[in-house]
Amino acid sequence: MTHTALSSAQVVLASSGDENHPPENISDGNTETFWISTGMFPQEFIMRFPEEVTISALTMHSYNVKSCRIERSTSEEAEKFEAVEEKEFEHTDGHLQTNDISVPGISATHLRFVILSGYDHFVSIHKVSVQ
Amino acid sequence: MVKLRARCILVGDAAVGKSSLSQMFRSDGTHFQKNYSMSAGVELSVKSVIIPETKDSVELYVLDCAGHETFVEACEKMWGQPSVVCLVFDITNEASFSGCSHWLERVRSHCHGLQIPGVLVGNKSDLSTRRKVEAAVAMEWAQSQGLEYHETSAKEMENCDAPFLSLAKAFHALYQDRLQIIQSLV
Repeated sequence: MTHTALSSAQVVLASSGDENHPPENISDGNTETFWISTGMFPQEFIMRFPEEVTISALTMHSYNVKSCRIERSTSEEAEKFEAVEEKEFEHTDGHLQTNDISVPGISATHLRFVILSGYDHFVSIHKVSVQ
Repeated sequence: MVKLRARCILVGDAAVGKSSLSQMFRSDGTHFQKNYSMSAGVELSVKSVIIPETKDSVELYVLDCAGHETFVEACEKMWGQPSVVCLVFDITNEASFSGCSHWLERVRSHCHGLQIPGVLVGNKSDLSTRRKVEAAVAMEWAQSQGLEYHETSAKEMENCDAPFLSLAKAFHALYQDRLQIIQSLV
């Protein structure tokens, strides 16, 4: 496993779309660009790693996310996901939510983030980084 | 281009014409069921509404919910987190109008304090000779609750799209507003 594999994750699927705010904005390393959900819950997006990686922690920059479940897959295709962690985030007003999520050294080829509920009709994800 | 999705809860007393309205909307005015058949559960219909003067659309997931008290509790379980609400009464039935505040309360209790756009619909406007609820009274109450008021006749295919278009527009406006807030944060 290399550091590059962790940092070159791609978002390969997202459940909703505003073409001005595409899901690629989640993995571009920049919190100023974002993906925004476009109504109703749950919402999800899937990140793919170029090879199987071991993950010990995640950092997620978001807005208005209430609860989120993280799942992983070790298959080559984005399938056979199993739940890793379910988190409830605090509501923030006027600034982004920053949440560090530690996981017990899991291996994964894909991570799926299922946003179960929000503090508003729409939620945005600005950056997800994986360590 | 933006594609939004909204969960539209269609409620009101039994026999006010919720299912007729929903069917007229879904079928673009080609299908009016002449015989009354009481809904016992929730019927889902999905239709995309284009927002005028934009390339954006809102896909409305209309949940037509049984109005009879017996079924309400079971239906409520399927509401989830509503995005918009369409509240219907029958203009010839005073009780169906006074029941609206109760319906609205019920829907709002599922919204976790979130404001949701809504419309009040006075249906059966073709039966104007039997009218019991004046448009002005309905409109005043609607405004006091932050709802837009529309009168429709599902039977005469009159104005049936208007409430749904208005909901789609309001949801679209809400999206634009929230997007602006998020952009101001980064």
